[in-house]
Amino acid sequence: MAKHPSIRDQLERDAWRNHALFAQRRARIAARHGSSSLRWQDRALLILAIVLVLLLIVRVETARAEPGTAPFWGIEAAEPGGSRSVALNTDFVVQVTGLAARVQVTQRFRNDGAAWKEAVYRFPLPQGAAVDRLRIETGGRVIEGEIREREEARRAYQQARSAGQLASLVEQQRPNQFETRLANIGPGEEVQVQIGFLATVDYRDGSFSLQLPLTFTPRWESADAGADNSRAGTAWPDEAPHPILSPGGDIDDHYLTVEVMLHSVTELVSIESRFHDIDIQPEPGGYRILLTDPDARSDRVFDLGWTPEFGTAPAASLTTWDGGDAVYALLMLAPPLAEAIAPQPREVVFVIDTSGSMEGTSIRQAKSALRQGLDHLDPQDRFNLVRFDSDAELLFPAAVQPSPYYLAQATDFINDLHASGGTDMAPALDLAMGLARHAGLLRQIVFITDGSVGNEQELLLGIGEKLDDSRLFTVAIGSAPNAWFMRKAAEVGRGSYHHIGKQDEVEERMTALWARIENPAVQNLQVDWGMEAEYYPEIIPDLYAGDPLWLYARLPFEPQEVTLTGELDSRYWQAVSRVSPLAGGEGLATLWARRRVEALEDSRIFGVDAAEVRRQVLDLALEFGLLTPYTSLVAVDRTPTRPPAEDLDSEGVPSLLPAGSALSAGFSATATGWPLQLTLALLSLFVATGMLLYLPPSRAQLAGGARRPGAAFSP
Amino acid sequence: MRNARHWLSAAVPVTAAFLSLYFAVSAAWIPLKAELAQWLMERSWRESLAGGMPRPPWPWADTSVAAELGVPAHDVSLLVLRGNSGRNLAFGPVLVDSTTGSQDIVINGHRDTHFRFLRELQIGDRLRLSDRDGDRWYAVGELEVVDSRRYEMIVDGTAERLSLVTCYPFDSPVAGGPLRYVVTAYPLREGASTKRR
Repeated sequence: MAKHPSIRDQLERDAWRNHALFAQRRARIAARHGSSSLRWQDRALLILAIVLVLLLIVRVETARAEPGTAPFWGIEAAEPGGSRSVALNTDFVVQVTGLAARVQVTQRFRNDGAAWKEAVYRFPLPQGAAVDRLRIETGGRVIEGEIREREEARRAYQQARSAGQLASLVEQQRPNQFETRLANIGPGEEVQVQIGFLATVDYRDGSFSLQLPLTFTPRWESADAGADNSRAGTAWPDEAPHPILSPGGDIDDHYLTVEVMLHSVTELVSIESRFHDIDIQPEPGGYRILLTDPDARSDRVFDLGWTPEFGTAPAASLTTWDGGDAVYALLMLAPPLAEAIAPQPREVVFVIDTSGSMEGTSIRQAKSALRQGLDHLDPQDRFNLVRFDSDAELLFPAAVQPSPYYLAQATDFINDLHASGGTDMAPALDLAMGLARHAGLLRQIVFITDGSVGNEQELLLGIGEKLDDSRLFTVAIGSAPNAWFMRKAAEVGRGSYHHIGKQDEVEERMTALWARIENPAVQNLQVDWGMEAEYYPEIIPDLYAGDPLWLYARLPFEPQEVTLTGELDSRYWQAVSRVSPLAGGEGLATLWARRRVEALEDSRIFGVDAAEVRRQVLDLALEFGLLTPYTSLVAVDRTPTRPPAEDLDSEGVPSLLPAGSALSAGFSATATGWPLQLTLALLSLFVATGMLLYLPPSRAQLAGGARRPGAAFSP
Repeated sequence: MRNARHWLSAAVPVTAAFLSLYFAVSAAWIPLKAELAQWLMERSWRESLAGGMPRPPWPWADTSVAAELGVPAHDVSLLVLRGNSGRNLAFGPVLVDSTTGSQDIVINGHRDTHFRFLRELQIGDRLRLSDRDGDRWYAVGELEVVDSRRYEMIVDGTAERLSLVTCYPFDSPVAGGPLRYVVTAYPLREGASTKRR
């Protein structure tokens, strides 16, 4: 047993030192003996030793040069857990008007150290937030920021940073990850960075809600987990840095204040916050909501929900804003209540991917998802199964009833599935969409795959062309499916997207899928604005129970009413929306632009050139002052404040770990290095034997003082 | 001068031989200790499974066996120790203290002794974790290389998973590198995949 706990460490440390000593000694001997005394055996040994040492060095180097360790542009963030001198506290001020929320986040950076600092802080914002404002405030001075092209903004920031001017840069790094950089915070100084954005309020089952994420929840993000659109060539740099997380505990910053002004013309029956205690003060024209806890920290999502009086919740709402040369509109339409209509019999076609990439956990999850799916079928439904890898195979020539006989056959078929072969999705989709149809049955295709394909564009176009009256529901399997493609496929297929990441999610997610499939939806929706309109999303999805439809439009002039028509239960369905008294603000233009950016980004998949997309997004972003993957917000003070003699330190400000999660002991040293010692042992053995074998004769010669003529190497 | 040369030419091979012996012994000691400790712990583990008071694996040991980790596909069976210290790591994989009692379990092990088999693990391989409460089965879901300078492992009270952590790369000759190889496995629900058979 080890006599002392540190003996191993000692050995590891000494290994290298001894090794160097040894090599030195060997070199000295070689020098003393002179080149002529080195026989070829010695030379061979020496070369061998050198080669071995070089090999070791090379291996150490390759071990160090692993990917993911490269610092991101220019400045390295502080080590997580290291001592910090920049403190950060955050204030949110939210104005909710109708379906839009205007949010101002104030990040108050305070430099408690003696050196000049640059703070780097990464933070999340709500899904689909349209960031359009930046302003720095310090000691009564206000510096307004502006939108610039990303590289240009970086240059402006870098220049100001080196010149000693107070400057701030806000960039988007991932769909929901943003970064603030604030340069030249003087010792003892407090600087406020104010970021403004617009978000839409969620509306579901008669209640509104607003979520403000305040920290990140990943354990760590693998390179593609953060971005949904990981394939399909996105604008997000692959090496987008990860958030820095820090446990709360004894730190004295990351305090949080939230103030929400809820403008409401109707009475509210309830206002609730899921994770924070709140104070509610009635005010003329609405309610003011504040956090009760003065010690609240940014360690959990702020989730506010409110419900208007029964019957006053809108079934449809149309708000507009006249922007001069165009009118911007937001149309929200709630679906008809599910209970009102009898469920419609369906023909469900399950399509399962059995290609090689599904091997292991994925195929098992896919199989249990399939079995779950079969369980949900009603007696009046019909079903069929398609399996595909390099080729596609149909179980029944036509859809069958879920009778025990057919179900048993299907179960056998499922049990026999093995994952191997290539992924040729198109024939399987064609097969499923092209099946002969039963009259009066709604065809729903449930497509279970990890989506690892290279021809997304072709597939999506194919789905769009051949879908007809079928609906495509995608079930993504595994921890890193091609989510972007699967989501888009469901969008084009007018169904919905579901993700099963783990075995124990199978049941929950398949039940959620079935809740969607089972209830009738308004289909083939058409919108009539009464004029030429540019609206998003361009493909209007089916209207499912519980999920309202949102449309953002740009119109040439003010609409009076908007008519939506569709089919519900094979019958004509119509809804008319009139402009509501609550006029929307200019935010509607920003929100519309934000949706257009998204649509433009998506258009790459349909073959639009990436450079063209970039150009269009850039134009739009600069016109509407939007933060996008290609544009950043930058603010620069005119006069330098940092004396040229003073250095600037960069410091990463961490986000707090989500409440409820504890930090583990971190990573231990998990290598002993004994193979190295073994190598060294062998090396020493080589040398020892080599010298014992070959040195005695040369020693004799040296002792006798004689040199064999001719033994010397030729010149 | 000649004397010095004479002396040197004799001393060098002798020194080299001693060095060789020294390295060989210290190198052999590590895997030997790793094996021996597992063997000694085996007895104490059996006793504690049988319901007796867990006896320390060896008289002066101040750690005890927390669980047994089995990987049938790779013919691996290891006893996992309590107490995440460098000394315990020499005897066997250790359970990270802060994950004791949680559903989100992290086990550390040396990449060149007990956890050498991690490099062989494939997505979908099954892992068994046995303790006094019985067996739990997991399936490997992710294999990742993580830079320990940049990331911290977060123990998520709501997640149910088993993570095996070791140093990376497996072949690096020097110990103490920043990279870690992390195998994350998720629990298998018995019956979920066999229900309809």
